[in-house]
Parts: sequence; structure tokens; C-alpha cells
Amino acid sequence: MSTQIVVQTEALTKRYGKLVAVDQLCLRISRGEVFGLLGPNGAGKTTTIAMLLGLVRPSAGRAVVLGHDIQAAPAAALRRVGAMIESPAFYPYLSGYDNLRVLARAGGLPTTRIAPVLELVELTARARDRVRVYSQGMRQRLAIAAALLPDPELIILDEPTNGLDPAGTAEIRALIRALAAGGRTIVLCSHILHEVEQLCGRVAILKAGRLVAEGAVAALLQRGQGLRLRVEGDVAQAVALAAALPWVTGVRQTDGVLLVDAPAERAAELNAHLTRAGVLVAEIGAQEHSLEQFFLEVTGDH
Amino acid sequence: MKVLTNLFAAEWLKLRTRPLAWVLLAAFLSLLALYLGLWALVLALQEGVLARGDLRLELLSAAQIVQIRRQLSFPGVFGAVLGQLNSVGGILAVILAAGALGSDFGWGTLRVLLIRAPARGAYLLAKLLALLLALLIGTLAGLALGALIALAAGATLGLPSSLAAGDLLALVVGVARGLYVILPYVLATLACAAFGRSVLAGVGGGLIFLALDVSAGSLGSLGVVNDLVLVLVNLLLQPNINRLVMMNAELFGLDQSVLAGGLDLATLPSPLQATLVVAAYCALFGYGAWRALARRDIGGAG
Repeated sequence: MSTQIVVQTEALTKRYGKLVAVDQLCLRISRGEVFGLLGPNGAGKTTTIAMLLGLVRPSAGRAVVLGHDIQAAPAAALRRVGAMIESPAFYPYLSGYDNLRVLARAGGLPTTRIAPVLELVELTARARDRVRVYSQGMRQRLAIAAALLPDPELIILDEPTNGLDPAGTAEIRALIRALAAGGRTIVLCSHILHEVEQLCGRVAILKAGRLVAEGAVAALLQRGQGLRLRVEGDVAQAVALAAALPWVTGVRQTDGVLLVDAPAERAAELNAHLTRAGVLVAEIGAQEHSLEQFFLEVTGDH
Repeated sequence: MKVLTNLFAAEWLKLRTRPLAWVLLAAFLSLLALYLGLWALVLALQEGVLARGDLRLELLSAAQIVQIRRQLSFPGVFGAVLGQLNSVGGILAVILAAGALGSDFGWGTLRVLLIRAPARGAYLLAKLLALLLALLIGTLAGLALGALIALAAGATLGLPSSLAAGDLLALVVGVARGLYVILPYVLATLACAAFGRSVLAGVGGGLIFLALDVSAGSLGSLGVVNDLVLVLVNLLLQPNINRLVMMNAELFGLDQSVLAGGLDLATLPSPLQATLVVAAYCALFGYGAWRALARRDIGGAG
């Protein structure tokens, strides 16, 4: 495996009895990428992450992290991996600082790493308070600090902005961008598709454990691009006329609006074609997909 | 070895700062003080110390009074403290062990720790070593308290006392044996907590096992019926524990059978068998704990 590939899964599968939580998943994540892992609840995102982190044993297939098979050499694979999986988890009777001290000691990391990561997530002032009194946002930031403790090459973040206020969310997004700019690879699980669209270069979408879409965010959005037009008169005729064009790959009609799967630059050509056939076009323009629309389409969660 | 050292440092930091550990230590010392204090009161009433010799309440036999006098003076007080370690201390050790492992499941901190240090066997061993260190410190604190009570009892009740270098050497052996007696219960608790993934499973499993085991000790009397029955009964844990506890008492000149009427010394297994059978139970429970932890997937909090 190339050293530029930071995460690779080969037919990674997890079964719980008859339930297939992750089904033959093949992923390749390159160094320096911000990669989004998306899917509806129960799609297998967290199970996938748990397998990448050696917490859950795959039923079949394998995962290679930073060049090491996670099952065969978990310590080597995870040495430079920082992760926040599910909700933040800490010892409530310990301070934020001491929680990080426990993790530093367990991982054989220098405790000198603690102060900088607390500074980075702006928790220095509250570091000596017990985690029991932390707000959800503070716990979230402490979890990110814990993930940064080993100076990771790969950072896996599961819903990193969950529970944060808008200012906190913006700070964490800025932090993720800064970490990515520093050359780190980031795998981001989020339900906030707008966030993923902003932060991730590439995404994979899971549904019922299967990979249903994967690619660069820009390419996926382009794939969903088309033309949106409103016609006067015989709509059925307009649908038939549009569908007959060789560069049109699909036509749908919703609420009197035609959605034509075709390159945006063909708008004038389509307009002329319909007008020549006697169909009056009242309105025509590019139909841009958001990641959310694309997500809903591929997961079928309309 | 370095992995184990790192994990031990983390486990010890967690345990020594945990309020539960201090509460249990306070409970042990309080119950020990109550136990020795009540014997001192019984002795004072028996010998009329409280009424300046005018009133004596002869509650116990002369042989029992001799035992109590020994328990309240050097070196017998050490035997009394170690006897408490193996009765009340065992129950508290079960609670401590269940809290130490079960909480890592309940709080979700196990997954965070295992990402930093994925060697689950080393994690379990480090936790066991930290627990044993905490139990050793609790034992030493109990011995110190016992010594203070013996000094006070000696001054007020005029008890003869002698302490030789050999007694201190015996103390080392006694403490090691006392901790060895607790070990199978601690390991059974860890196995239950790992299997049930909770503090409740650990406490419940550990205490139920302890109660059943103590009850099984009463089967010892069946041994007089038939030699084969005696062999089988002596393969249970409790008769072997009783032998080791008895040896600890004898080490400091005490005779447990005088104060614990149901104990038939003639039916107890040999010291070698007791040591080996306890080792076998430790191995069984230790393997069970390791297998439950190593083979299972680590999910989220709760």
C-alpha cells in the first residue's frame, strides 16, 4: 500500500447475528484529505470508525491504518491516530487536565503535550475544574484536545460540533481547517451536511452498511446539477421533447417544474428546441444540488 | 513491559484520585476500629476495668478471652487486622474492583483508553496491579491503625506485648498471604464486570460469588462422612481460603477456631493444596476476565 494512503479498507464487513452493520466496505483515504463519512442513523458509520480504531473486530475483510493492519498491529496503527468517537467520554471526578494526563500516561506520551492542546481548544482557564461541571461544549472541546494529544497524522472525529453553540461550532470548524492545512488527514463523521460540504474534499455515503456514493464533493454536486424550467402549455409534450435530446439523461416533473438532467451550458439550446416545437418556456435556469439534496437522493430519505 | 508500565501509571492515577477508593478505605478503617474497639470493650467488661474491678461481666470463656487479649496486643493485632482484611476487606475489594473496571464501560472511557493503548491484556493486568497496590496501602493503613489501637489497649487494659524482628518478617508474609486470599474474588469481580460491561455486573457477580463461596465453606463438615467427599469439598475455594486465613492467624499466635466456632481445622486442606487451589481459581477467573475483555467489541457509553 502506498504511504500516501492513510486509511484503506478491503471488503470490511461487520455482522451482528443476521444484521449486517457494515457490508464489504472498500475505502481509500489519502494523506492530507478531509474525508467525510456520511449516512443516516444506523448506516454503519460509527461501526466503521470503531473497526478502524480496533475497538470492534471485523467479521470479514481488513482495515489498514497508517500502513499497519489494525487487527495485526493495533499499537503501531494507532500510535499517530487521534479520535473522538460517539459522545465525549471522561472520568467525571478528574479535572480536564488530569483526564488528559491519564490518556498521556496510558499512551506513553509526554505530559508536555497537554498544555498546548488545551490552549488550542481554549480550555486552559478551566483545565483544573472537574469534568463533572463542564458544559457539553467544553466536553466536546476536551475530547478534541484528547484526540490531538498524540500529535496525530490521522484524526477521526465523530460529530465534533455536536452540542456546541454557533460560536463554538465556528471555532471548531476553523480548527479542523487549520489542522487540515497543516497536512493532517481528517475523517469527519457528521450529520450536519452543510458542515461536511464546507470542510470535506471527499465524502463517502453509507446506507444500511453499504457504500452508495463516494467521490469529491464538487464532483458529486456536479453530478446532481441540471436545468430547472417552467413551461406554459402542454407539459407532457415538453417532457417528451426534452427527453428525446441525446445529451439529456433524465427528466422529472414536480409541481409544474421540469427538472432536466443536462449540462447547465445547454440551457439556451434546450430553450430553442422547445420553442421551435411550440412549447413556451416561461423560466429556465441551472438547478444546483446541495450535498443535502444529493444525500437524500442516494440514501432515499426523501 | 513499557506498555504495562504506562498503563499502570494511568490506572494508578485514576484509582488514587477516585473518591470511591477513599470512601472504601475510610469504611475499612472504621469497621476495623469498631471491631477491635468492641473486643476491647468486651475485655474491659470481662475484667471489670470500667468498674475498677467492682463489676465483671463474664461473657466469654477463658480461652476466648485469651484470644481477644492476643488480638489486642502485639503481635496478635496484626493477625486480627489481616483477618479483617480477608473478611470485610474482601467485600470492599470487590466493590473497588467492580468500580475500577465497570466504570470504564459505563463512562465510555474504555474506548478512549484503548485507542491510546490498544493492548487489552496489558490494560487488564495494569488495572489488577493498581488494585493490588491500593489494597496493599489499605492493608498497611489498617495495620497502622491496629498498632495504634493495640498501644492504646495495652496502656488501658494492661495487656502484655512483645514485638520481635521475626514478627515484622512474619508481617511481610502475612500481608502477602492476605492479598493472595483476596485475589480470586477480585479476579472473579473483574471477570463479571468485563462480561456484564458494568459496575453493577461486577459488584453483583463478585458479591454473589463471595456469598456462595462462604456458604460453601460450611460444606466442610460433610468431609467427615467420607474421604472422597472431603477431597471434593476441599476443591471448592472457601476451605482453601480458610486454611490460608488460619495460617495467617497462627503466624501471630492466634487460634481462629476459638472465636469462629464452626471452623473444623481437621477437615481443612493442606497449605500446599490451599495455595495451589487458590492459584487455580485465580488463573480461571483471570482468564475469564481477559477473554471477556479481549474478545468482545467495545461499544459506546452505557
